Amino acid sequence: MRLTKSGLNTATYVAFIALILAAPLVFDPFWLNRLSKYLVFGMLGAAIAVSWGYAGILNLGQGLFFGLGAYAIAMSLKLASATSLAQGSDTPIPDFMLWNAEPGAPTELCCITKGSFLWIPFQSPWFGIAMGIVAPVAIAFGLGMVVFRKRISGVFVSIITLSVVLLMRLLLVQAQPLTNGFNGLTDLGYLTVLGLEFDPYMPQTYYLVAISLALVLVGARLLVETRSGLILQAIRDDDRRARFLGFDVPRYQTFFFCASAAISGYAGMLYVMASEFASPTFMDLSFSITMVVWAAVGGRNSILGACIGAILINMIEATVSETPALMEAWRVVIGLAFVFAVLFLPRGLAGLAAGLRDWLVARSEGARPHAAPIPAAEERGRA
Amino acid sequence: MLDTIFIGLSLGSVLLLVALGLAITYGAMGVINMAHGEMVMLGAYTAVMTSLYLGLGLIAAMPVAFLVTALMGLAIERLVVRRLYGRLLDTLLATWGVAILIQQAVRLSFGLAFAGITIAGLGPGLQNVSLPEWLGGVFSVAGSEISVYRSFIILVSLLLAALTWFLMYRTSIGMQLRAIMRNPQMAAACGIDTNRINALAFAYGSGLAGVAGVLMAGFKTVFPDMGTPMVVDGFLVVVMGGVGSLVGSILSAGILGQINGLTAAVSNDIIARAVVFAVVIAVIVWKPKGLFSYKGR
Repeated sequence: MRLTKSGLNTATYVAFIALILAAPLVFDPFWLNRLSKYLVFGMLGAAIAVSWGYAGILNLGQGLFFGLGAYAIAMSLKLASATSLAQGSDTPIPDFMLWNAEPGAPTELCCITKGSFLWIPFQSPWFGIAMGIVAPVAIAFGLGMVVFRKRISGVFVSIITLSVVLLMRLLLVQAQPLTNGFNGLTDLGYLTVLGLEFDPYMPQTYYLVAISLALVLVGARLLVETRSGLILQAIRDDDRRARFLGFDVPRYQTFFFCASAAISGYAGMLYVMASEFASPTFMDLSFSITMVVWAAVGGRNSILGACIGAILINMIEATVSETPALMEAWRVVIGLAFVFAVLFLPRGLAGLAAGLRDWLVARSEGARPHAAPIPAAEERGRA
Repeated sequence: MLDTIFIGLSLGSVLLLVALGLAITYGAMGVINMAHGEMVMLGAYTAVMTSLYLGLGLIAAMPVAFLVTALMGLAIERLVVRRLYGRLLDTLLATWGVAILIQQAVRLSFGLAFAGITIAGLGPGLQNVSLPEWLGGVFSVAGSEISVYRSFIILVSLLLAALTWFLMYRTSIGMQLRAIMRNPQMAAACGIDTNRINALAFAYGSGLAGVAGVLMAGFKTVFPDMGTPMVVDGFLVVVMGGVGSLVGSILSAGILGQINGLTAAVSNDIIARAVVFAVVIAVIVWKPKGLFSYKGR
């Protein structure tokens, strides 16, 4: 059989998707729930690969989009939870709002605390779901329009995104009566749409996550292979040349920035369904950088590679976190892995896989194996 | 009013202490050193350890901390950063890994925790450094209470800024460093040993962070994670001030410190931090190169 590069690529995707869909056959509900969280992180890895690997935008604030998606659906699920329904009012009221309310305030969403009316539309789960995508995309669009039109690039984009996520985190914590501050939203109900209840420990939730991940992976892959995706890569490699060729550079950058934000927002929603809480820690700096670590180890230029990197790292972490001493050692391993991945394996695990793929292709063609593949153009930092 | 301005000034001076080292490693060398916060942390721990084992005071700990962190910086430059010049974003990622390693080294007492050995003064817990008597109290100026220690910090950071300025603009090494900042290839072509100068600059920048750490140990709790928020603040100062501009870093540290202090006076600390972030974002969007900058590397 003649092997081709694209054939092997497709085979890898098919194998990965088959693997995650078959997981419920092997794992018990507890591990299945864990795995669904890691698949969500895999989705984040893919989102990073789109913006970093393909658009050359190192977003150090990806947690912002994840957090917005998470909070949007968590608000809906909070209103659907038993603790919100049984508060002696016709409409559900989140319990923490009652604790924070001034004595004598009406127990209505409209006016129990300042700004609580913002929660009213979230009584419909559909609104929460829609906002989980719309809010991240809207912010990414606004940010992208400003940043990319001003031709801000490289590390300055990273610093801006980093500042934005930290800013939003502070505001989120500050708006304690509205968001429950540091404690985040807990005691959430299950999402029930179209007669299906998504209990985090039931297989349907896992399947929802797994199928979503499969669709996101295939969708993102197809997206970067469109003409726009190719232009985007041209911009990544040399934005000035792309500009001289007449392409509207900021438009492409903004579009893919938004696409990455939409994936992250969606991932945030799925994470809330699997873990039953939303917390300001989603917007911590270390979480956003951790996502980049996953993508870097997995392979920043590969959507599937970044995704698998995220899943693998988290699975190992979950296994070793059973013993505290191992957990501490694991952090050392992660730090080392990161340094070594950047120094010696800039294309990550996916780079190794690509080398193997090229070797297989060359062997099936009967030719001598190629020399080491030429590394993809590194993003050049222009300070 | 005077005490509000003074608080802003002291916040600014702390920012400046952290940012000074970054202004050199990032501004001059184009390396985003995420482990810079860990250098501050190491400096703080040096203060803890020297007072614990050698009985040294805060002042005596400063040169020790400078030495320790400068050597650490030298090691990082030799082992990691040297291979990454010109790959700006990769330096960010690799040094983040280094930062995790340093944090873990402190938390695990250099790995001895695995063997069941713990070193007093290290480990995951909180540490405190006591101030010498004469740095403790307050004095009053025009009816406002002013802390002696805060004034001391302002003084030291100004002295360090002056020293850095002197090294950068009045010594041969500084001149070579400035040449590398403008154009590293050209500087190398002119016979400057860029490897040596880069390593020295990195070590000096890290050493400054160590001194900052000693000063911070005087008014903050010392713990392994203390560095991360500082490195962010430091970067905001340097980016806002303009990459490669010492004056820019000093001024923007002052401006951000005052904004922080004034906003905190009328609302609270969280809002003040949020306003600082907002101001920095606005400045970068308005002037991506920072307030004071020239074309360089």
